[in-house]
Parts: sequence; structure tokens; C-alpha cells
Amino acid sequence: MSAAISYSIRGRLLVWLLCALVVAGLLIGYSAYHRSQEDLNELLDYQLKQLAFSLSRQSIGRAPMPRGLLPEPDFITQVWDKDGVLMFYSRPNLDIPMRPQPGFSNVDWNGQSWRVFTQLDGLRIIQVAHPLSLRQEMAADLTRRAVLPLAALLPLLAVGIWIIVGRALRPLYSMSAAVRARTPSALEPLPDRDLPDELVPLAGSLNDLLARLNRALEAQRQFVADAAHELRSPLTAVRLQLQLLKRAEDPGERVVALERLERGVERSTRLVQQLLTLARQEPEQLADTDALVDLARVAREVVMDFEPLAERAGLRLKLDADQSPKVVGDEDSLRILLGNLIDNAIRHTPDGGTITTRVAGGNADVMLEVEDTGPGIPADQRERVFDRFYRVPGHDGGEDGSGLGLAIVKRVVERHRGHIELNSGAGGTGLRVMIRLPAGKL
Amino acid sequence: MRLLLVEDDAMIGEAVRTGLRQDGFTVDWVRDAEAGDAAVRAEAYAVLLLDLGLPRKSGLDWLRALRQGRNRIPVLILTARDSVADRVAGLDAGADDYLVKPFDLEELSARVRALLRRQAGRAEPELRYGNLVLDPATREATFNGEPISLSAREFALLAALLERPGGILSRAQLEQRLYGWGEEVESNAVEVHIHHLRKKLGTDFIRNVRGLGYTLSKTAS
Repeated sequence: MSAAISYSIRGRLLVWLLCALVVAGLLIGYSAYHRSQEDLNELLDYQLKQLAFSLSRQSIGRAPMPRGLLPEPDFITQVWDKDGVLMFYSRPNLDIPMRPQPGFSNVDWNGQSWRVFTQLDGLRIIQVAHPLSLRQEMAADLTRRAVLPLAALLPLLAVGIWIIVGRALRPLYSMSAAVRARTPSALEPLPDRDLPDELVPLAGSLNDLLARLNRALEAQRQFVADAAHELRSPLTAVRLQLQLLKRAEDPGERVVALERLERGVERSTRLVQQLLTLARQEPEQLADTDALVDLARVAREVVMDFEPLAERAGLRLKLDADQSPKVVGDEDSLRILLGNLIDNAIRHTPDGGTITTRVAGGNADVMLEVEDTGPGIPADQRERVFDRFYRVPGHDGGEDGSGLGLAIVKRVVERHRGHIELNSGAGGTGLRVMIRLPAGKL
Repeated sequence: MRLLLVEDDAMIGEAVRTGLRQDGFTVDWVRDAEAGDAAVRAEAYAVLLLDLGLPRKSGLDWLRALRQGRNRIPVLILTARDSVADRVAGLDAGADDYLVKPFDLEELSARVRALLRRQAGRAEPELRYGNLVLDPATREATFNGEPISLSAREFALLAALLERPGGILSRAQLEQRLYGWGEEVESNAVEVHIHHLRKKLGTDFIRNVRGLGYTLSKTAS
């Protein structure tokens, strides 16, 4: 129960408000007690004085006065003659010692505190007293009367607070219900009209988050849709090639059909691999494999890997990297980046061409370039080629491509906070891919 | 029957062309709408097989333009777009049929044959003339109830004549139907096929109309 209260705004407000009320009640009681004590002192002192004066105007014999003369039973009245002989007393067993000084004084006598008024009128000494405890009792009684109704109201106030706070918190409940009603397929913004000021920033941040989530999910959905669509082409090719293989009647036809089928399967495999690579390059998946990477070494290794492929295509691979510039990043991703660029260049560059890879380090940046002597990419297409599944129209070499190579390259560059630019090669022909990555320092 | 295939994917284009040729069609293949447009203007095709996802100009836009230009060529759309909205858009743009990738070669051929039948105003799948029956689906021919064996081009030539009985087809028209682009045509190829057919069906089955071309003999019906 205590845990539930301490973690509920409603419970906390209830407890604290009740505590405040109790403290306020106590303060009111304390000040009421003091005020009434002061008032009572004034009033009762005045009464003592009046009583003494009224006695001084009467002639008093030695015997006790008849009871009816005495205004208050709690008052003790004593009268002495000028020789100090007690002439009169109102209560036989309560003979407070005589105070020689006139006026008010407090006297402890017989285990009680007394308020005493003494008057000298020349002939007699008149002394009137009553117990101070009486005043305290009266003050306490007055205080009780003031505070008790407040205490009686407390449960009522508690119920009221509980209900009012519950009402005030209603927008919070309805907002949490609205959040609960959101699903990945329905992420429309939360209603932000008629919200209390305190909830407006929360609704704003939640709506921001929802919008970002929605965009990410939409991008993901689009990607899956695109991927499914793109997978159809190689699968269609494979299916048709398989049917042709089944139809093939003589061994020669069968060999041709098998070769084509094999190419179709390779193409599908490459597309699937590229899709997986792209998915792994999601920007969120940054960091834990990041290390200082020697880009020149990576370039040497990748270029060597592609040597046989280039040779078969009648191309020359050149590497220009004498320093060892380092970048902070993921070596596998950088390897994929360079591999995609060289693979692209090999597929687009005609027989006899040259593909040059350059790595150069500067103070702040490391430059990575891949230049080929192929047909290049027209200036107006250079932005679009980074789009997923976009292929430059009329480029035959890109036929078997997945349309993802450069999208992956761009993703890797962005992940490494770099910059990529496409240009024509030296002499205005071919393609030159220029990548700038921040130089690594650990 | 000569078909035009417009498909930008090299592997699919290659496979469809090979498959349709095996099924006895003559196929020309281009990779984009511009080349397709030029081809349609230059040759008389029986059916246009159209991919929608073409580079530069979309297949659908070109199809609309074709229909606006009153071109009535039967069009079969081949596409990976499979939603109902896409199919409706394709058919409403003027396509006669819609086939979603991936598809089977057999189904593609059957749909092409169905389009050809519809174009010729026939309901029955076989072509008949007198005692001659040609089945375009199986490419089997019977004459006087006996099966006869025909080469692919002989079958195609005979089918062309049977499509419009009584019509006259010139040698150039027949050549155009039988040979696609890049196929070697001997100057007397048509005469050679006619000669072989006459040997199988009798000399008077196909008649020579001097200066015009060839037609089926009336007596044969």
C-alpha cells in the first residue's frame, strides 16, 4: 500500500495535502490557545479586580459571608483587618497567605498556581484569588471548539482531494490510453488539443517519436516492397531458364540453357547478398566493431581479390597508395564499399580499359578514389544512381547488377561520416568516384 | 506469327524470345519503348508483349500513346506489378491481357495464341481448311485424318495462310511473318517452304497468284 501511494501522483498529493492541513490545523490551534489565554487573562483579571472593589464597599463581619454574595464559586476571597487578623474568608480550608503588596501576583500555594489580586483600602486588606489552571482549562476548551470541526472535516477533504486530483489527472489517463491504442501499422499523432499545459511537452515529444518511428517503418516497408519487387526479375529469369532447360532436346541446347540458368541463379544470389549487406549497413547498427583501419592495406587486398575477374574482362587494375592513411571504421564495411566500386567499374568498362584505385591521406581527411575508363554516368543521373534499385538506362553492363551497389556504398560512406561524389574521369570520359573520409585518430 | 517483345531485362528477354521461338513464333526483341515504337511503325506484328518497368519511358505511357494513335495491335502486358490496381490500370490503358512475373512459358504461349484467335475472330483453337487441321497449341497437323510432320516454318507459313482463308499473302509478307530481325533469309526461302508443303499436301493445295503471292486453293476446301 505504501509503495502504491508513493508511486502514485494521486496518492502523494493526497498524503501531502492532508499533512499540510494537519499542520495548518495545529498552527491554528496553537495560536487560538494563546489568543484565548491572553483574552481570558485580561477578562478574569478584570473580574478579580471588580470583585475586590465590590467587597471593599461592603462592611464585613468576622463570620463567613453568605454564599450568595460570592459571584463565582472558583474565586477565593479573604479579608484581613489592618492588624492582619483574618476577618473573612469564602472557603474555610483555603487560606492563601496574605500578600502585603497591592495588585496582581501569581502565587504557588498548596500544589496549585493561583492568580491573586490584593487591595488595601486603609482599614482592610482584601485579597481575591482563583487557580490559574482554570484559565488553562478554559483556553484549552476554546481551542478545542475552534479546531475540532476542522479535524472532523479532514476525512471529507480527503475524499474531495482524491476525486479532484483524479479528475485533474484524467488527461494523463486518456493520453496513456491513446498511446496504448497505437500499433506499428497505425502510428497517427496523439491528439494535442485541450491538453493541460503540463502534458503539452509530453504529447509533443511523443508525437515527434511517433513521426520518426513512422518514417523509419515506412522506409522499412518500402524497402521490403522494393526488394520483393526486385527479386521477381531474377526469379522470373531463373524460372524461364529452367523451363527452357527442360525443353532442351539436344545436348548442345542443354549446355546453353544450363549456362543461362547458372547465370540467372548467380544474379539472384548476388541480389540477395546485396540486400543483406544493405540491411546490415543500417545507420543504427553503428560502432562496436569500429577500429582504426589502414585503408591502403584494405585497398591492396580488395584490388588483389578482383585481379582474376579483371583479367578475364581484359581490364587492368591499378593501385596508387604509398602512404598508410587510417580511418576509424568497420573494416568489413569499407571492404564491401571498395569491392562494390571496383566490381561496378569492371562490369561497365569495356575490354582493354583501366581501373585505378587511389588512396591518399591528408591531415583531416582520407581520400579514396576509383576511376575507370568506361562510359561514365551522365551528370543528371549522378544523384539518382545512389537510389536503391536504380539503374542507369541503356547501361548494358549493369544488366546483371542488383541496383544496390552504389546505395550500399553511400550507406557505408554516411556511416563513416564521409562524403561521396561522382565525376567524369580524367579527360572527361569514364567514371571517377571520390570518397572523403575523416582521418582516424585514436 | 511475328511478335514484338519489349523487355529491358536481358535474361528475361533472352529466355522469352528463345521459348516463344521454340513454340513456333517469330520474335523481335527490343529493350525500351522508343525502340518498340520504331519497330511497331516498321513492321506488322501480330502481338505486342510489353514489360511495364522500362527505362526512360514507362510501358504504360507508351501503350496509351499507341492507343491514342489508333494502333490496334493486341497487347499482352508482362510485369512484376501484381496489385489489382496495377492490373486495372494496365488493362484500362489499352492492354488486352495481363501476365504477372514470374510466369510459365507455356502460359505465355497459350495467352498469345488466345489473343491471336480473338484477333482473327475465331473461338475454336484449331485452324481448319478442308481436310487440313492445324493445332497451334501442339503444333500438330493432320491432313485427311492422318498426322503429317511439318517444320516450324512450314507450320507457321501454313498457319498464316489459314488465318485468312481466301486472302492472298505476298512473298514479302510471308517472309516478314516467318523471319525476325537478324535471321538469315535465303532469297528463295518462301518458295522452298511452299515446295515442301506442296509435296506433303498435294500440288494444288497452295495456289500461286501471279504477281501477287500465294493463297489456298478453293478446291481444297
